[in-house]
Amino acid sequence: MRAFPTVRATRGGLTGRRLQATVIGVVVLATSAASVLALGMLVDSNAPFNHAFAAQRGAQVAATVDTSVASPAQLAATTRLPSVTAAGGPFPVTTVSARISIPGQVEQDAVVPLTGRASPGGPVDDLTLQAGHWPRAPGQVVWSGQGALSGVMTPGAQLTVTSVPGSPRLTVVGIATSVTNTGQAWVLPAEITALRGSGVAQMLYRFSSAGSTGAVAADIAAVRAALPRGALIGTPESYLTVQQLQATSIAPWVPFIVAFGVIALVMSVLIVVNVVSGAVVAGTRRIGVLKSIGFTPVQVVAAYVLQVAVPAVVGCVAGAVVGNLLAAPLLSRNAQVYGVGKLSVPLWVDVIVPLAMLALTAVAAVAPALRAGRMSATAAIATGRAPRPSHGYAAHRLLARVRAAPRVVTLGLAAPFARPARTFVTLAAILFGAIAVTFGAGLATSLNRAEADLSLAQSEPVQVQVGGPVRQSARPLVVPGSTGATAAQQRAVVSALRSQPGTLHYVPETYHQISVIGLSDPLSVTSFGGDASWTGYGIVTGRWYTGTGEVDVNTYFLTATGTAVGDTYPLRSGGRQTTVRIVGEVFDPGSRAEAFMSSATLAAIVPGLTPQRYDVGVQPGVNVQRYANALSATLGPSYFVSVSRDNSPVFASVLVLVGLLTLLLIAVAGLGVLNTVVLQIRERVHDLGVFKAIGMTPRQTIAMVVCSVTGIGIVAGLIAIPAGVALHDYVVPIMGHGAQTNLPAAVASVYRPWELVLLALSGLVIAVAGALAPAGWAAQTRTALALHAE
Amino acid sequence: MDALVRLDNVTKRYAGGGAAAVSDVSMTVGDGEAVAVMGPSGSGKSTLLNLIAGLDRPTSGSVRVGAERVDMLSETGAARFRRGQVGIIFQFFNLLDDMTVADNVLLPAQLGGQPAAKARARVDELLAALRIAQHRNAYPARLSGGERQRVAIARALVNRPALLLADEPTGALDTATGGEIGELLRDLNSSGQTLILVTHNPDLAARYASRVIELVDGRVASDPASSTAGGRR
Repeated sequence: MRAFPTVRATRGGLTGRRLQATVIGVVVLATSAASVLALGMLVDSNAPFNHAFAAQRGAQVAATVDTSVASPAQLAATTRLPSVTAAGGPFPVTTVSARISIPGQVEQDAVVPLTGRASPGGPVDDLTLQAGHWPRAPGQVVWSGQGALSGVMTPGAQLTVTSVPGSPRLTVVGIATSVTNTGQAWVLPAEITALRGSGVAQMLYRFSSAGSTGAVAADIAAVRAALPRGALIGTPESYLTVQQLQATSIAPWVPFIVAFGVIALVMSVLIVVNVVSGAVVAGTRRIGVLKSIGFTPVQVVAAYVLQVAVPAVVGCVAGAVVGNLLAAPLLSRNAQVYGVGKLSVPLWVDVIVPLAMLALTAVAAVAPALRAGRMSATAAIATGRAPRPSHGYAAHRLLARVRAAPRVVTLGLAAPFARPARTFVTLAAILFGAIAVTFGAGLATSLNRAEADLSLAQSEPVQVQVGGPVRQSARPLVVPGSTGATAAQQRAVVSALRSQPGTLHYVPETYHQISVIGLSDPLSVTSFGGDASWTGYGIVTGRWYTGTGEVDVNTYFLTATGTAVGDTYPLRSGGRQTTVRIVGEVFDPGSRAEAFMSSATLAAIVPGLTPQRYDVGVQPGVNVQRYANALSATLGPSYFVSVSRDNSPVFASVLVLVGLLTLLLIAVAGLGVLNTVVLQIRERVHDLGVFKAIGMTPRQTIAMVVCSVTGIGIVAGLIAIPAGVALHDYVVPIMGHGAQTNLPAAVASVYRPWELVLLALSGLVIAVAGALAPAGWAAQTRTALALHAE
Repeated sequence: MDALVRLDNVTKRYAGGGAAAVSDVSMTVGDGEAVAVMGPSGSGKSTLLNLIAGLDRPTSGSVRVGAERVDMLSETGAARFRRGQVGIIFQFFNLLDDMTVADNVLLPAQLGGQPAAKARARVDELLAALRIAQHRNAYPARLSGGERQRVAIARALVNRPALLLADEPTGALDTATGGEIGELLRDLNSSGQTLILVTHNPDLAARYASRVIELVDGRVASDPASSTAGGRR
C-alpha cells in the first residue's frame, strides 16, 4: 500500500469534514477525561496510604509495653527476632492532663498522651514534619497534624500540664504526621521522665511478612512470646486497621465517578460509531471518486480510519490532561490527609486510558470503513448521499394526516424514520446523557442533604463551648477526658441564651468515651441534658431516643457489635454497668462507634459529668451570625460561640466534580445530536432546497430540523428517568457503605414527582440544544445552492 | 399590458470572482404574458430565473414582481413571496421522494397555513385538471417523467401564484412527453397565467411563448420588447 495518497485523501477528508473531526475529538476528549478521572480515583483509594506508608517506613505494628515487666534488654531482643526487619523504640509514653492555650481560641482542658522521641526519623515511623521543628530543648512539644485539634493547633500554642506538680508548660514548636497515627504529641524522651513517666513505652516494628491480618497476628504473637507475660499492654495496633480506616476517606466517592466513567465510555463508542458511519455514508460519492482514480480498498479503509484516528489522538491526549486537572482537587485533599506531599494520577493510567480510547475509536471506525472499502466505484457514485429508499415513507404518510400539528413539525417528526439505525444510536446517546443528568441531579441532592444532616447547620447553627477543646463543627470531636462546665458557667450560658432574642432551642451536651464489649475501640457517647430531638441528626431506621435507657447508635456500632435496632446492649465504665435499648440508627459515617443518649442514661455509668457545650437552634428568619456575635458579646471571652455552616470543602469539591462530569456528558450527548443532525442535513440538503423553493421560511426550517430530534429526545428522556433513578438508588447506598454508614431515606430517596417531570425533559433539552446550531445553518443555506447540491 | 416582472440593471456575480453570471440585465414581463428566456448553457438563464424567484440575490440592480422588491426581501420575506406569488417548475422535478403525490402538491399550501379542507380541495382540483388524480397516493418514484412533471406543475400552482417560472421543464422528458407538458403550459397561459420559461430549445420557445428573450454570456442579446436589447447601455 502506498501511504502518500492515503495521507492526502485523509487530509482532504479532514479538511472537508472539520465539524465531524471536531465532534470525534471532543467526544473522545470528554470520555478520556472521565475515564482518567475514574481510574485515577479508583487507584487512589489505596495508593496514598501505601505511598505514605512506604515513604515514612510506617510501623506495621505499634505495641505498648510495660517497662516494669520487660527490661530494655528484653525489648531489644524483640528487634532481633527473625521476622522483624526494622524496629523503633522503646519510646517512653505518658498521659497528662493539660490546659491548652491556642492563640485566638478559648482555653481548654484535655487529656494528652505524650510520646518521647529524640528525633522524628528512624528506621520505622519516619514522621513528616509539616510545620516548625522537632523539640530541641525541654519544654517543647510537637503536635500531631492528624488527631485532635488538627487544623486548629499551631506552633506557639501552650500546654500547661496540670496533672504534674508545678504545672510545667510545654510550647508547641511543630506539627508532624505519622502515617499510622503512632502519637498525639511528641516531646524529647527526657521530658517524659520530667513529667513523671508512667513506666510505659511504645515499640514500633516492621516485619518481613505482614501482608495480611493473619501474618500480622503471627508477627505480634512472636513479639509477645519473646517478652515476659504481661509485658504487652492491650492489643498492639496493626497498620492494616489504619489502612482500612484511611481508605474510607475516598471510598465513598469512587462509585459515582466510576458510574460517570462507564456512561461516558458507552456514549463515546455510540457517538464515534455514529460519526464514522455517517462520514462513510455522507462521503459515499467521494469514496467512489477515490476508487475511480485508483484507490485500492485497503487505501480507502486506511484513509477513513485515519480520518477518525487523527482527531481521536488529539482528543485522547487533551482528555488525559483534563482528567488530571479534574482529579487534582481530590488528590490534593488526600495528599493533605496523608501528609505525603503531591499526589497525581498514576502514569500508567495516563498512558493506558488514551491508548484504550484510541483502540476503541479505531475499532468503531473499522467496520464502516471496511464497508466503504468494499463499495464499487460506480455504486458509490450512483448511491450518492440520498437516504436509502423505502425507509420512513409510511411515517411521512401517517404524520402528513396529523392535522393537530403544523406541517413543519410533522415533517421533522418523520425524519428519524429515514435512518432507523442512526436514530437508534442517537437515541442511545441522548438516553445516556439524560441518565447522567438524572443521576447527577439526584446525587447532588443526596450530597447536599447528607452535608446538611452531618453539619447540623440548619437545625443547630450555633454552639456555645464551655469546656473541652474548641471545635468548629456541630459534630462531637472532643478530646476524651476534657472537663465540663462549672455550675456558674452553666448558669451564665443558660441565662444568656434565655435573654438572647431569637433563641428557639438549646440543649446542654456532654461527650465521653466508654468501653463496650465487642468493640476494640472505645464508644464515643454524646449525651444531651434535655430534649435533643430537634438537633437534626438523620435517622436511618428507628427513632430518636425519648427516655432513660434508650440510645441511638450509628451504623458502625451496629455492624461492629452485630446488633440491630430494637436490641438491648450492655454499657460499662469504671465498674458500673447499664443495659440500654437501641431505638434508632443515626446517620453518622465513619469507622468510629457513636452513641447518642440522655445525660441521665450516661450518668448511670459515668456520674458527675457536666455539659461541655450548648447546642442552640434559632428562630426562623434570625441572622445566625448576628445572633452568634450578640451571644458572644453577652458571654464574654471565656466562652467560645461558633456557627456551623454547610460549607464542607470536601462536599463542595465533590459537588463541583459531579456538576462538571454531568455537564461533560451533556455536552457529549449534545455533540452526538449535533452530528446526527448535520449528517441528516447534508444528506437532505437538496430536499431542504426544495422546501425553501416552495416557500419554507427560515423559522419553519429551524422548526422542522429541531423537530427531527424532539421525538427522540422525549423518548430518551422518558426512558432515562427510571434508568437514572435506578442508577442513583444503586450507587448512593454503595457510597454510603464506603463511608461505613447506611443512609436515611431523605438522603437515599431524593426524587420528587415534579423533579422527575423536569428531569424527563432533559432528553428533549439535550436534543434541541444539539440540533439548534445545525438547524440555524440549514435555515441560512442559500436556496439556489441547496437545490444544486447533490 | 401592466408589467408583472421588472428587472432593472441586474447583475449577479458569484463569490470567487470570474465573469458575471448575469450582467446589467433589464427586462419586463407583462401580466398574463408567456416569455421564454433562451440561451446556450452558461448564458445565465437559470441564474436570472433564480433572481426573479428570490432564490438568489442580485449583486446590483433591482428585481420587482408585482409590488414586491424581491431583491430587498429578507430570507423569510423571500420564502413568503415564493409561497404566495411564484410557482416554480424544475427540469428534474424536485419532488420529495418520501411523500405521496398528494402530499407533495399539498405541501406549499400547508406551509402557507391554508385551511386544510380548502387546500385539499385545491389539490383534488389540480390533480384532476392535470390528469394525475389516479396517482394521488403514489410515490414519485413510481411515476413516469411526464407524470412527475405534472405533479411538479400541480405543486407550483397550488397557491394560485401570479407568476409561473419553468426552468427547462421538458429537458428531462422525451419529445412526446415534452410536447404534452408544453401544451399544458400553453393552456395555463391561455387561461391568464403569467409564465416565464427558461430553455435552450428554440422550438419550445417559439411554440409556447409569445416573446423570446435571448441571453448570451449573461447579457440580453435580444428582446423584442426592448429597443435597447442587443447592445450595451
